[in-house]
Amino acid sequence: MRLGDAALDRLRDAVRAPDLAGTRYRLVGPLGAGGMGAVFEAEDELLGRRVALKVVDVPLDGEAPAEALLEEALVLARLEHPGLVPVHDAGRLPDGRAFYAMKLVKGERLDAHLGHVALLKERLRLFLRVCEPVAFAHANGILHRDLKPSNVMVGPFGEVLVLDWGLARPLAGAGGGGGAGTPGFMAPEEARGEPVDTRADVYGLGALLDAMLRVAPAPPRPKALASIAARAMAPDRDKRYSDVPALAADVARFLDGERVEAHVEGPFERAGRVVKRHRVAVGLVAAYLLTRGLFILFRH
Amino acid sequence: MNKVLLGLLVGAGLGALDGLTAWFTPEARSQIAGIVMGSTFKGLVAGVLIGLFARKVRSVPATLVFGTALGLLFAYFIAHMQGKYYFEIMLPGAIVGLLTGYATQRYGRNSQTAAA
Amino acid sequence: MTRFPDTRGSLVAAMRSPDEATRARALSTLAEAYWKPIYTYVRLKAGREHEEAADLTQEFFARLVEKDWLARFDASKARLRTYLRVLADGLVANESKAKGRVKRGGGLQILSLDFDAVRREAEEHRAAGELSPEDFFEKEWVRSVFSMAVERFRETCVADGKELRFALFSAYDLEGDAAVERPRYEGLARRFGTTAVDVTNQLAAARRDFRRIVLELLRELTVSDAEFRLEARALLGIEPST
Repeated sequence: MRLGDAALDRLRDAVRAPDLAGTRYRLVGPLGAGGMGAVFEAEDELLGRRVALKVVDVPLDGEAPAEALLEEALVLARLEHPGLVPVHDAGRLPDGRAFYAMKLVKGERLDAHLGHVALLKERLRLFLRVCEPVAFAHANGILHRDLKPSNVMVGPFGEVLVLDWGLARPLAGAGGGGGAGTPGFMAPEEARGEPVDTRADVYGLGALLDAMLRVAPAPPRPKALASIAARAMAPDRDKRYSDVPALAADVARFLDGERVEAHVEGPFERAGRVVKRHRVAVGLVAAYLLTRGLFILFRH
Repeated sequence: MNKVLLGLLVGAGLGALDGLTAWFTPEARSQIAGIVMGSTFKGLVAGVLIGLFARKVRSVPATLVFGTALGLLFAYFIAHMQGKYYFEIMLPGAIVGLLTGYATQRYGRNSQTAAA
Repeated sequence: MTRFPDTRGSLVAAMRSPDEATRARALSTLAEAYWKPIYTYVRLKAGREHEEAADLTQEFFARLVEKDWLARFDASKARLRTYLRVLADGLVANESKAKGRVKRGGGLQILSLDFDAVRREAEEHRAAGELSPEDFFEKEWVRSVFSMAVERFRETCVADGKELRFALFSAYDLEGDAAVERPRYEGLARRFGTTAVDVTNQLAAARRDFRRIVLELLRELTVSDAEFRLEARALLGIEPST
């Protein structure tokens, strides 16, 4: 038998869509694809609200993806933070696929969002807000391991959410991931499959910072920031910031015009930074000196 | 540093420097010690007042206006005593007042008051 | 990652089985999935006319067996689908060089293939030319896989006495072109003498079964776990949003 184009399209749609028969959810439409599954928008008919359903897209023989998805749901459910998406529900759909329901966030991916954030300071403030949930997760013993711009979402009210905790692992004994992260954002020790700690996420955040400064329209990139990113991404993890708060603190110092830890500055660079930091006071002193000078000059 | 102390130090320091500039005016050079002392005292009083204001009001624009006005007022007294150089005395005085006001708000901390 | 052996259930392995019947079955499934894509690809890409393309398609499967082409397939380097398409390219190129050599006779037509429907499709497409030959090859492949899955689903339903399920599935998902509005569940219920609730349940179950069959079929048509996932995602997953 030969299927027509219309039948083919319908069948593809039918098998792609999660089987929500008999559940409290009604499918609205696809939202996107994540690390190990597809994300759909659905209506939770019990509570009368829209949710995002993350569903394993292809069930393999082994239970691995289903387990990983449910593990992600468990991780997220344990971590309650404004920078993390709340999980509402988890389980299996009638077609056997594992799923979890989370808050529906309709926002922009960070890289897209940066396209209309031209100011360096704005970008750095966004970066600091990415650091918060990651540091929070670390404090609760969880590593993200796949930090990158496409895993950060900026909501319509400017809320910053760190998504895709599919590779997240408990800190204790994390390792053997065998380089499951994203090349370019993955710490070398992780790529080698060695045990990792919070400094692997420090590396990821360093790479994220670097990427955030390069998205067009890219603001000028001060040397001190390049040094911060370089320290966070040091191949030897002992040379990185010891944890995420230390990295965030250095970026905050840059924002405040203070000397950053990661950067050794020359005398002119330093003078420039101090003048810039105290530019109003310096300007007023200069104005005072100018008027005094002019009066003295014209007196004679 | 709390705002009042900061105002005092900045006001006195700037007042002393401002007084020292009289050295460039040859006819005033002989009375330089008195001028510096007077100017320092004037700055000190103005600085404390601005610091108190800054602590009370906590608004940067209001403190800037207050500082400038106070600087102008004090400079006016000085100029009035001299009976001349109104402009040469009052304009720098206003800038010093503005600078003191800015410094107290930007660099001063609110002293720890007993919280309820 | 290696939760199941690399070639379990794979036709590629079955094609090289010592058992004659297994080999024949594997070839027939592989041919069923690929002959239409290959025929249309030869017609569109190499610009061959119908007779020649049909011969080349037969030749393709004959050689696949004779020369044991699948032995050289490396699942870590390409998808089977791409490998077979590249082989078809090679066959066409060699055939052009050796023009005029004795044509293979009917005895070598190891498969009985009905080219009529696909011929019309290929000719219509050649006139319209919206997709590249490679994309059209992929589309034909998807169509073959889904057609095979529908056929298997029908057989399962008949064997299990669930003819109503297949009839509803067929009425709702297969019949009518894109312009026709989908029948309403109430209408289907009246037409098949059942309730709307039953229609809902039957259709949900049908899709679940159909999805499972498509995945089983894909498992056979791919060689490694990784390739299976890739193809399953291409077929069933949703494309990453940009």
